[in-house]
Amino acid sequence: MNIVENFDLFAPRLINKKELLSGGHRACSGCGEVLAVRLMCKALGENTVIASATGCMEIVTSMYPTTAWEVPWIHVAFENAAAVASGVEAGLKALRRKGKIADCDIKVVGMAGDGGTMDIGMQALSGAMERGHDMLFVCFDNEAYMNTGIQRSSGTPMGASTTTAPAGKVSMGQKTWKKNMAEIMVAHNVPYVATACPSYPLDFIRKVEKAKKVKGPSYIHCFSVCPTGWRCPSDQTISLGRLAVETGIFPLYEVENGKYKLSAEMPKKLRPIKEYYKSQGRYRHLGEDEIKMIQDRVNKEYKKLLNKVQCLEAWS
Amino acid sequence: MNKILMSGNNIIAEAAIRAGCRFYAGYPITPQNELTEYMAEHMRNVPGGVFIQSESEIAAIHMIIGASATGTRVMTSSSSPGISLKQEGISSMAACELPGVIVNIMRGGPGLGNIRPAQGDYFQATRGGGHGDYRTIVYGPATCQELADLTMDAFDLADKYRTPVMILADGMMGQMMEPVIFKKPKPRKYSEKFMLKGAGAGKSKFIRGLILDAIEMEEHNWKLERKYKIIVDNETLHEEHRTDDAEFVIVAYGTAARIAKGAIKRLRDNGMKVGLFRPITLWPFPELKLRALSGKVKNFLVFEMSTGQMLEDVRLTLQGYANIEFHGRPGGVVPTPAELANVIARHYDKKD
Repeated sequence: MNIVENFDLFAPRLINKKELLSGGHRACSGCGEVLAVRLMCKALGENTVIASATGCMEIVTSMYPTTAWEVPWIHVAFENAAAVASGVEAGLKALRRKGKIADCDIKVVGMAGDGGTMDIGMQALSGAMERGHDMLFVCFDNEAYMNTGIQRSSGTPMGASTTTAPAGKVSMGQKTWKKNMAEIMVAHNVPYVATACPSYPLDFIRKVEKAKKVKGPSYIHCFSVCPTGWRCPSDQTISLGRLAVETGIFPLYEVENGKYKLSAEMPKKLRPIKEYYKSQGRYRHLGEDEIKMIQDRVNKEYKKLLNKVQCLEAWS
Repeated sequence: MNKILMSGNNIIAEAAIRAGCRFYAGYPITPQNELTEYMAEHMRNVPGGVFIQSESEIAAIHMIIGASATGTRVMTSSSSPGISLKQEGISSMAACELPGVIVNIMRGGPGLGNIRPAQGDYFQATRGGGHGDYRTIVYGPATCQELADLTMDAFDLADKYRTPVMILADGMMGQMMEPVIFKKPKPRKYSEKFMLKGAGAGKSKFIRGLILDAIEMEEHNWKLERKYKIIVDNETLHEEHRTDDAEFVIVAYGTAARIAKGAIKRLRDNGMKVGLFRPITLWPFPELKLRALSGKVKNFLVFEMSTGQMLEDVRLTLQGYANIEFHGRPGGVVPTPAELANVIARHYDKKD
């Protein structure tokens, strides 16, 4: 498969050339999520077991009898990706102790969408993180249940119109603020938590590589643009991801042993959110007042994050 | 009354709202999403209506338990894997004697299966499904008009017997469109003494499913069982289609019954006298009516979109009374009337 022209000239040491998520899957054009999964696989390498929750990524990559996966992959149900990943990790530990497999690092990875992480999968994820399994969990957050047809989730941002939170005369769509999942994971005191976006591929890959090296649980929250659900042109995926970061709506940072660090990609001065909001159909109904209200909140949240970056220290 | 063209999922939602359902909790799962979406859009237009999209199916069923305890008419819906998650709540509802309607738009299974129509949840629905000695009333509608009528009846029945009622349809019923007439709902009869309403003058109310004393628990079980006996005696529904002169009868429900009707038309055109017995209530199963039919017909074929679940109920009813054959297509395959007609033609030749 021809991935990039002159790959060996530009990026041989930056990115693993081998594709572990093959092409020909059924994702929509412009899907940011499948791009993120592909980059994640490149960063993880072959010695990986992936436990996936139900969702777009499970459906588009695994329609029987075909599969896009070139690493071991297991899918059980919607609510339990983290629990299944815990089981795989424990099973591998047992095999290792019995001497049935070589004593090498096999990274167990759980992956789920925002619904499978923040809503129904929260309990299993919280348990897995608390128990301290040697696993990575990646949430591919496209801010609604896209697989079943754009229903709201607790990852849906304020003001977005979805099929179960439709905007109309009375309602402005989603009426609650997005759940800050990365902070919830930080509160579990896991060694490594990061937010990432495939619009910044090298940053994302570095974060996955870092999480892979961590002994113990780690969590990456990946912002994945969904042109179908967000009602935006499919060629805008990368630029929308960048815009979300540059406006501070989805700041990129990592938390290592409690120490916050902003990613180098974060701009010194944030751009106004209006441009981001005006480019998506799901926010089309929002007026100046609503956008101003959201802008205030984004500013406050970002300031809170900067304070954490300044003040909090690592515990080891 | 005007006929309205609507899809099955929307019909269930509209019928529920018209029947006075004022709280609905749902969670996305294909193929019942349209029901949740319809509720999201329309529940807010009725006075006092509340829609909540929960964080999981387990939360949805327990939310309706809470709302049901306050005396509100409640409904939740899901599809096969989601209904499995709801089972603990359904068992609790039966134990606490709380009314409520649960819609199951079945899809292929086991596990997550697929999103095509199937009838593999018959055992789960009719045998209780959750733990403990309990039953749920189960309706198996076969037309969109029935979806509308039975949804309204389900609320009345749930109130009358203070028990959960399940509507067991499949993905095909949920997705297809037919014209319907919504009947006028009956006024609600539900005693205030079962409603939790905050502090009042009377005694405090107490709702529980945990009864530690074995004798008390046994008494509770027998009380429920007496209630189920009354339901079995009074609430069975069925349809007989061209059984007057039939020499061979298909037993099928839901979408399978629709296919059977198509097959019967073909077979009758070729001179084969075939009829249909369609249970409308799957629990209580219309045993006596089916057994009565075996007085004049000796050859039956059970047709299901599963590997044979209602077959067991038919065997319990007809074993020793008649010959029972079976044809099934599980896993989300929807057979054609022509296929079923071929199968029946083969059996028809061999009948006594």
